[in-house]
Amino acid sequence: MNVREAVGERRARALALAGLVTFLGIWAALSYADLVPSVILPSPTEVLQAFPVLHFQEALVRSAGWSLYRVTMGFLLSGLVAIPLGLLMGTFPAVKHFLSPLVDPLRFLPISALVPLFLVWFGIEETMKIMLLFVGTLVYLLPLVVEAVEGVDDVYLQTATTLGATRWQLVRHVLVPGSLPAIGEALRVMNGIGWTYVILAEIVNARYGLGHIITVAGKRSHVDQIFAGVIVILAIGVASDVVIRIINKQLFTWKR
Amino acid sequence: MARQLTPLGRVLVVLAGLALLGYGLYKYGVLAKLSGIVAPDKKAEGTVSRDDFGQTGAGETGPGGGATTPASIAGGTRLNRPIKVAIVLWGGYAGGIMANGGMAPNNDSVFSKDYGVQVEMLQIDDFTKSRDAFRAGGDRGGVDIMWSTVDAYALEYDGISKLNPKAILQYDWSRGGDAIAVDAAIKSVKDLKGRKLACAEATPSHYFALYVLTQGGLTNRDVNWVFTDSAVDAANVFKAGQVDAAVSWSPDVYVAARERQGGHILASTKEASNLIADIFVARGDFLEQHPEDARRFVAGWLKGVEMVEKNPERAAVLLQKSLSGVNTLEDAKGMLEDVKLPNYAENRAFFNPQGSLVNYQSIYQTAQNIWRKIGKISRVYPGYQTVDTRFLEAAAEYFPQAQEAKAEFEFKTPPRPAAEPILTKTVSIFFPSGSSALDENAKAVLETQVVDLAATFGSAYMRISGNTDSVGGRDANVRLSRARADAVTRFLVSKGFDRNKFEVVGNGPDRPVATNETDEGRARNRRTDFEVIPR
Repeated sequence: MNVREAVGERRARALALAGLVTFLGIWAALSYADLVPSVILPSPTEVLQAFPVLHFQEALVRSAGWSLYRVTMGFLLSGLVAIPLGLLMGTFPAVKHFLSPLVDPLRFLPISALVPLFLVWFGIEETMKIMLLFVGTLVYLLPLVVEAVEGVDDVYLQTATTLGATRWQLVRHVLVPGSLPAIGEALRVMNGIGWTYVILAEIVNARYGLGHIITVAGKRSHVDQIFAGVIVILAIGVASDVVIRIINKQLFTWKR
Repeated sequence: MARQLTPLGRVLVVLAGLALLGYGLYKYGVLAKLSGIVAPDKKAEGTVSRDDFGQTGAGETGPGGGATTPASIAGGTRLNRPIKVAIVLWGGYAGGIMANGGMAPNNDSVFSKDYGVQVEMLQIDDFTKSRDAFRAGGDRGGVDIMWSTVDAYALEYDGISKLNPKAILQYDWSRGGDAIAVDAAIKSVKDLKGRKLACAEATPSHYFALYVLTQGGLTNRDVNWVFTDSAVDAANVFKAGQVDAAVSWSPDVYVAARERQGGHILASTKEASNLIADIFVARGDFLEQHPEDARRFVAGWLKGVEMVEKNPERAAVLLQKSLSGVNTLEDAKGMLEDVKLPNYAENRAFFNPQGSLVNYQSIYQTAQNIWRKIGKISRVYPGYQTVDTRFLEAAAEYFPQAQEAKAEFEFKTPPRPAAEPILTKTVSIFFPSGSSALDENAKAVLETQVVDLAATFGSAYMRISGNTDSVGGRDANVRLSRARADAVTRFLVSKGFDRNKFEVVGNGPDRPVATNETDEGRARNRRTDFEVIPR
């Protein structure tokens, strides 16, 4: 292997598969050989057996649906706020500096500490859950959008100005199309953030929800069910990642 | 000549076809069936009513489950490290903390000097993390012994059954530590109907709520549950006005009740004194490998309980110093007041299925039954499998003076007439016409419906009022209802209750709950009410 040596597509797939098999092999070896007790690390079979239990008794599919809905709503909302605001901040540094004392520290916001506050502000129903996911996603998404707008090369702006573009035309025809692919990429990466907060969001009054399932399984020491819940989240995460990748590719054809 | 459809027309036709098909599937229930396969709902929740409590009795004593088998704990080796115990911020650990002179293992403690064991207590307030530590075990950076309550243990046993855990010691009864805070409009349990009730799901709070609801004549379906992650969260949503009632623990629940306008405490384990039992559960491998250490741990802890009884001041000081989260000495004293630390004799009675009226087996069986009914567990385990009393029994040599557990509460004054009952349980007891004699059926009804209630609300007074229908003369009916209430009281006293616990009232036909015009109404009026009255 040389530094940055290119890997062909077929070989890349084979390597990924090998990695997966190795990982599963280590897991199986550790658990089947009883090197780690099953109350700490359940075996692959036990995890598989947890699925029907969750499916028939704990409404796994409905829970996945609800969690997906909450995460998606939080994600869309944060996109709705972050994209215009980010464009504004990236376009006019004055706005950015004005908002910086508010926006910069937000990335250090401990979301878990917000739960009690949000309960008081937004109640115990869906609003609170979606707001939590919205804020959790927004604080990471906004700086990325600003960065994407700032990342548009000055050359384009100068060219457009020379051609006599107005301020609005600069935004409309240079900054927006120039930054959108990077914003799309930011959205793809940030889509995962919601899933990391879903457990927190579903801590109160969630009849359905993957986070709820995992919390309850943890309390009752059903490690196999925790694994199963996590696997479902990972699967949904990977799937939505692929979907957003495809959408990005379709929408931003000028990127390449 | 057929005309060619436009693309839009084709789409419309396809849509119409799909709509028809969808409607058909919906109409004939195929969709519902399909969603039942693809995305089934949670397992249906059964109804928990008052009949689910107090039914079990002492039927289930398996091999060696009784207190009769002589204790034999031979074998195993001595532990060469401290026994690790997971605890939480709670006054019930005063006994152990006293015997250990704090939480850290040391050589000056009673545990070490008199019993030859080192004990390390670890405060793990996050429930899930304490369970993680228990699963890891004392040899792998976790703990050997963890706290639980009998009701919660019945629920979580399935998840940890592979560890073969055993309950070995009761360290306290919650006495005021758990409570229900309600808003101004709610005066008794019946008023909770249709209200929003917050609690941490499948916890002692949940169990407490179910008990109080059902004994007050409601079922689990009569309230809108709002489940939170922890008891503290439940208190917080109540304080914020998001729910009408919340079950939580001390001190949060009292603070929430005080800070919300009109908020007050409806009921607490001060009255339901024998409902939430805190116990230590040890890992099976620990007990198997180091039984002698387990025995000495149990003995030392209960010695500590005696020390707390003799010197509560010192216990409060130690509690404040040891547990994190106790700000003042006053707080520590309050925490001690929220619990009752059972001594050696009381522990023996608790773990004996024929011992106390409310004991380990009775709570375990009842709780397991409740959790199964509301779909929280699908596998059941016999109570005797979950407990090991050998260590307690083998510690007898350290407590030669231990007598029979004696009555704990003193009942002197009759209940103040003004005192509002927390709840009223209405029971129909059949008496032969004109007679006040209890037949076997009536006794069985009392045994299952009332003895458990009276024992669980151990510290509370109970008003027993007989009521009749309007058939016959009023005076004769009043006399008869009084005589019947007396007969009921005599039966309860024969079960070991203090006579002064009960106030006997004969209402005759004066307090009907239904019309006296119909057979059905008259049958409802012929009843005995049991009112639980806080002291």
